[in-house]
Amino acid sequence: MRGKTTTSGAAARWLRGIALAAVASCGAVAFAEESMRVDGALLPRDSQDAAIFRGGLVYANYCVTCHGINADGNGRAARLHNPRPANLRASDKNDAYIGLIVRRGGEALGRAPGMPPWAEELTDEQIKDVVAFVRSVNAQHR
Amino acid sequence: MKPIRLLAIVALIAASPWSLAGEHVISQKDKAFSAKTLDIKAGDKVAFRNDDAFSHNIFSLTDAMPFDLGTYGGGQMKSVTFAKAGKFEIECAIHPEMRMIINVAP
Repeated sequence: MRGKTTTSGAAARWLRGIALAAVASCGAVAFAEESMRVDGALLPRDSQDAAIFRGGLVYANYCVTCHGINADGNGRAARLHNPRPANLRASDKNDAYIGLIVRRGGEALGRAPGMPPWAEELTDEQIKDVVAFVRSVNAQHR
Repeated sequence: MKPIRLLAIVALIAASPWSLAGEHVISQKDKAFSAKTLDIKAGDKVAFRNDDAFSHNIFSLTDAMPFDLGTYGGGQMKSVTFAKAGKFEIECAIHPEMRMIINVAP
């Protein structure tokens, strides 16, 4: 029991590290491609690619626990929630609504109470960025 | 009531495991728990008091008793009774850096 819990915690931290590294590496590739494309110039801060990169970091830190590394709603804490966390890859919500859910939480919108309100924790830019990231992994976006 | 009967009742109450249950309070302040570890006994209740001005959450994925107390604002308190022994890793879903261990003895 004791060992299992410790392993679970270590695995969770390891997974978070992997998620962060994966997101960062995707962003780094995009960053490198963009850098080559514009002849060494930095990725513009207000570009969509930059927002997705930053949003991936926010996601890996705050959202991955419930929504999972694949954003499919299968995070390690998903089993605690009924209804389960949303599969963000299949969401049909627009950016404004996703931003509202992130900001105000699920309960305020008559949805799952397990989704906390993030407005106290995340800046407006972080919320905008994480919406950009969610949009980038959404199947209907492609 | 005869003294011997009174004594028997007192003894029965004292022998009940729930009568021995303790209560503990853990503060959540500045995005940290007031203790890194807490040793308690099975049947004890732990209250998590949000002393920050913003919301916190409490959950544990420990197999013996996974639970989620949900999100609650500053000044509020939520509690959970640890009915089973084990080592419980306590986390806050909003602040991933917040973690503590509660060791529950049988």
